[in-house]
Amino acid sequence: MYEPQRLHPAAILEFLIGNIYKRIQSLLPLIILVFGQNEIRRWFFFVLPVILLLYVLYIIVYWLRYVYYIQDDELHLEFGIFVKKKRFISFGRVQAVQVSAGIIQRIFGLVKLQVETAGGGDKAELVLPAISKKRAEELRYILESKRPIPAQKYRETEDRHTGEIFRLSTRDLFILSSTSNSIGVVLVGLFVIFSQLEEIFPDLNIWNIIGDYVNEIAGKTITTIILVVLVIFLLAWVLSLLGNFIKFGGFELIRMDNNIKINRGLMEKKQLTIPIKKIQAVRVVENVLRQPFGMVSIQVVSISNAGEKGESSVLFPIIPHRQVKELLEQVLPEFAVPLETKQLPIRSRIRYILINLIPAFLVTILAMFFIPYGWFSLLLWPLAVWLGFIQYQDAGFNIQNNKLLISSRTLGKVTTIVPRQRIQSLAVSNTYFQIKRKLTTLHVAIASGSITASKKLVGMDKEQSAMISRWYSDFGGYI
Amino acid sequence: MQTIPSHQLDGKAVSYWRWSGLLGSVLYWLVPLAYYGAMRLWNWPGWILSIIIVLVLLITLLDITVIPNILWKTWRYDVSEHQIDLYHGMFIKYRTLIPMVRIQHVDTVQGPLMRHFGISTVTVSTAADEYEIPALADDVAAELREKISVLARVVDEDV
Repeated sequence: MYEPQRLHPAAILEFLIGNIYKRIQSLLPLIILVFGQNEIRRWFFFVLPVILLLYVLYIIVYWLRYVYYIQDDELHLEFGIFVKKKRFISFGRVQAVQVSAGIIQRIFGLVKLQVETAGGGDKAELVLPAISKKRAEELRYILESKRPIPAQKYRETEDRHTGEIFRLSTRDLFILSSTSNSIGVVLVGLFVIFSQLEEIFPDLNIWNIIGDYVNEIAGKTITTIILVVLVIFLLAWVLSLLGNFIKFGGFELIRMDNNIKINRGLMEKKQLTIPIKKIQAVRVVENVLRQPFGMVSIQVVSISNAGEKGESSVLFPIIPHRQVKELLEQVLPEFAVPLETKQLPIRSRIRYILINLIPAFLVTILAMFFIPYGWFSLLLWPLAVWLGFIQYQDAGFNIQNNKLLISSRTLGKVTTIVPRQRIQSLAVSNTYFQIKRKLTTLHVAIASGSITASKKLVGMDKEQSAMISRWYSDFGGYI
Repeated sequence: MQTIPSHQLDGKAVSYWRWSGLLGSVLYWLVPLAYYGAMRLWNWPGWILSIIIVLVLLITLLDITVIPNILWKTWRYDVSEHQIDLYHGMFIKYRTLIPMVRIQHVDTVQGPLMRHFGISTVTVSTAADEYEIPALADDVAAELREKISVLARVVDEDV
């Protein structure tokens, strides 16, 4: 490990497939164009094997020159053929280490290791696509303990897990899949596939086919239409179910001494380790569809969201609301507080209603002018008022055990728990209207990969926000 | 009313903002220019051009007259041992607290126009956001940067 190491040869396959996929994606328009020309098509099949062969050679050389090693307290990576790139990551900068195994890795009994550091976008800073499990464990241990300890020693000091392992029951997984946004995503996905098909085969006229089909059934009874819609939804539901089972199957949440370990995935086993001290805040998210079931999901905001965006920040995908506190006490006692919040003053309710009513009002005006039966959009008004009502109802805050709780709702309700020492900065603002009514807006800045983690609560009483400011400034403060 | 921070920005900030407002408004004037081009090409109506010109003129005038004064009057800051306290905003007033413990780094920034006026901006970064105290006299800014960097270093915590 302290000598430059190559990846397992299986990495060649991984590079090949990953790159070909990317290349084909970007070259697709060109390929389609080329296939249109008869002449080009003829010698294309002659050239293709040559290109492929060169390509394989290129990847093999790429693999030969892709080496990693540990020097002092840095992980080094060197790669590149024409331009040699070197990347050093010092242990101190490591935010998260993710170990996963895709199909190629599982065939060879290997894993993929991704190292995340603070800055940077959503892509991992350093990826080792195919290394042995043992090597991955060693590297992970070294990176997380920040010390270049030789491999044989690491077992003695290994992080022991404390408390119970939280698993996801099949029943909850069902509820999760049935209520997740992925149903919508699947529907959109089907739509996208259809429209792509049209682009690739312009003669297919997919929309005409669908249109004819719809016409045909519309000529029949209304029940047929309902049946078709139901079938489409059923299809989307089954696909979503499948997707979620693959993604969250075998979900396990374990608290170690200094880390949280999350294992998940049916096909591709993913293991995510989040150091406790990198966790900035906990979010309890109540999706609208799950609310009737009293189910919520718990997310953690850590400085860098390793791996896929958002996904990795899931601490527990679905859990009954009343069990949240218990789970946090077991897994993240640093963030465990009762979820009750104090309400905002009643005089800020009107703002919550107006903020929803005004857009509805504008929509109605436009709809009346431009769409037949546009006055149907008047129905939006009561809906907007109702949304404003519950948004006000669910907005709140609390301070408990030196942690700040802020809850708010756009559609789903989100409660954020952030300890005082994790609040990066705190601002209180007021608009002209708010000053007159002694209302304020609280802004809480939380560190994360994306700015969405920062939290805002509109319409607090002046005294309430002043109280939070005093609590936030160490020494009594003077706001 | 709450007591607001006591320090104000440098007096030269106002003239600086006037000039930067003037230079910045050159961008706005591209809009009527573009519209004029469109007018010649596609016969777009001329009265819209007058409206655009009046609007841009108004914005330019505001940018170099009233706004710099309001900005200057509404900006206040304090740097204590424990935190930086900022108060600013024209339409929405912001009162921001940044604890020294959370500060990751502090810089002074100076553009060519600012150099002409002998002023600099102090920027303070936390793990979440970046804040600035604009337009301080060079020596004040340098002193402030030193002070903040010393205070922020004393309490070196993990994020």
